[in-house]
Amino acid sequence: MSNNKRLSRRTVIKGGVLLGTVTAIGLMSTKALWAEQVVPPNTVPLSKKKQIGFCYDERKCIRCEMCVKICRNTYKWEEGTIWRKLLKNEKGEALSMSCNHCTDPACAKVCPVVAYTKRESDGIVIHNPARCVGCGYCLYACPYHAPRIGEKTGAVSKCHFCYKLQDAGQGPLCVGVCPTQALTMGDMTELSQKGDLNYKGLPDPKITKPNMIAIPQNQ
Amino acid sequence: MEHWGWLIAIYLFLGGLGAGAYLTSFAAEKGFLGGATNLNRVGYYVSAPIVGFGALLLVTDLGQGLRKPWLILGMFANLNSVMTWGIYIVSAFIFVALATAYFVWKKKQAPKLLTYIGAVLALSTAAYTGMLLAVVEAVPFWHSYLMPVLFVISAMSTGLALTSMLAYFFEKQQVHEERVSQLHLLLVGAEIIIIAAFFALIYFGGQGSVAIESANRIVIGSLAWPFWVLLVVGGLLGPMLIFFVQQFRRKRQKGVAQNEDMTVQVEQVTEGNPKSQGALILLDVAVIAGGLTLRCVIIFAALPVWNGFLR
Repeated sequence: MSNNKRLSRRTVIKGGVLLGTVTAIGLMSTKALWAEQVVPPNTVPLSKKKQIGFCYDERKCIRCEMCVKICRNTYKWEEGTIWRKLLKNEKGEALSMSCNHCTDPACAKVCPVVAYTKRESDGIVIHNPARCVGCGYCLYACPYHAPRIGEKTGAVSKCHFCYKLQDAGQGPLCVGVCPTQALTMGDMTELSQKGDLNYKGLPDPKITKPNMIAIPQNQ
Repeated sequence: MEHWGWLIAIYLFLGGLGAGAYLTSFAAEKGFLGGATNLNRVGYYVSAPIVGFGALLLVTDLGQGLRKPWLILGMFANLNSVMTWGIYIVSAFIFVALATAYFVWKKKQAPKLLTYIGAVLALSTAAYTGMLLAVVEAVPFWHSYLMPVLFVISAMSTGLALTSMLAYFFEKQQVHEERVSQLHLLLVGAEIIIIAAFFALIYFGGQGSVAIESANRIVIGSLAWPFWVLLVVGGLLGPMLIFFVQQFRRKRQKGVAQNEDMTVQVEQVTEGNPKSQGALILLDVAVIAGGLTLRCVIIFAALPVWNGFLR
């Protein structure tokens, strides 16, 4: 019996159908996945849902780093994590940045354990370290390096926009402590009229739609 | 950007290797690899342990999950996350592959449905290892449609190599089907084309300057040695050349034999030659090492879309 006879027509057809199905499933999920990045589920147009965000005005910033210090001292950042940072370049330009509580939070999408939640009421992205397995997937997914893994616990932590203070009717600490009101917060429907985060080499805001705007010095 | 290192690279490699081994035995069992194959068992036996060991490596790479293992159960939660898909696929695959191996061990015919489900799960496992990286938009080098395709082809190629090698050591019946060499050649050839296309898309397509920077690390930078020596020459071009020459010689010998009407004898002489078998084992090892190198350079070349500094 030759080898080819062992491969009956039925087997070949069956193999073909199997391969076709797998390819179709693969392609479908790929398509769905990429489509999702454009229009993610659970995203209602901004007009229907409230979304708050940060506003950084470089013209007013005196580089005192009070925003960073109060955050670090209050929340006792674990070794290895940075919730807020004052970025500076050699030209003396600066940007105070934390988590941007994105409209399409890539961290939340990739996190296998659903440690991230995006609040409907104000769009704050909160990470729950108690659920976190520390896989590090969100560290790759976030273009702004907001989530970081703590060296001791092995869990991720990041800025939560002082949501507890906000729920109690107060503002976030970093905004409150800023002596020149260079760092403020507001509703994104208004803030997005004034600018965006397409700023000095930062990643394309289209990736995650960050809810922060930066107003540069020379504007 | 070094949150993921060796452990994850080896995990992605083993996921593909185990899946490829299952697919090899599946193909052999269904008669796709010729009538006198001895590849119809070993792949089934090793697939679950290999993928299982890989999953164990993934777990040891976890931060808090390693200290609080019950948290790992939570990884089934986010149906939007490719990592969660992977957890389902890999768990199901290990289960089905173990069941298949049990039937083969008991010398019973494994239910057809089981082996078909296993084959689909094996393909899904291999594809998932690529998808895991491909969906990360913030790492432009990974964000490529070709990533899952490349990983699937490499999985099949390394799986076939491993199964052939193990069959040589552990199966009493020694055969070498021409179809196996042909398939090997086909897979290695396909992988070369996909890798070339992958880099061409990065250099001439729209994945951006950071993706090019990552690619440069592999092509001319710190990862160039393993890439060119272990993957391109050792794992792809070398094996392809040898498979090709082997095919050519076999055809010529067959031609001569047919003229003299002694096909069977010549076949026996060429197939059973221990020297050529030894060379084939070496090729299998080279292909497997190439597969591991592929995963490692891809993980290590990752650069974030933004380096964290103000320009």
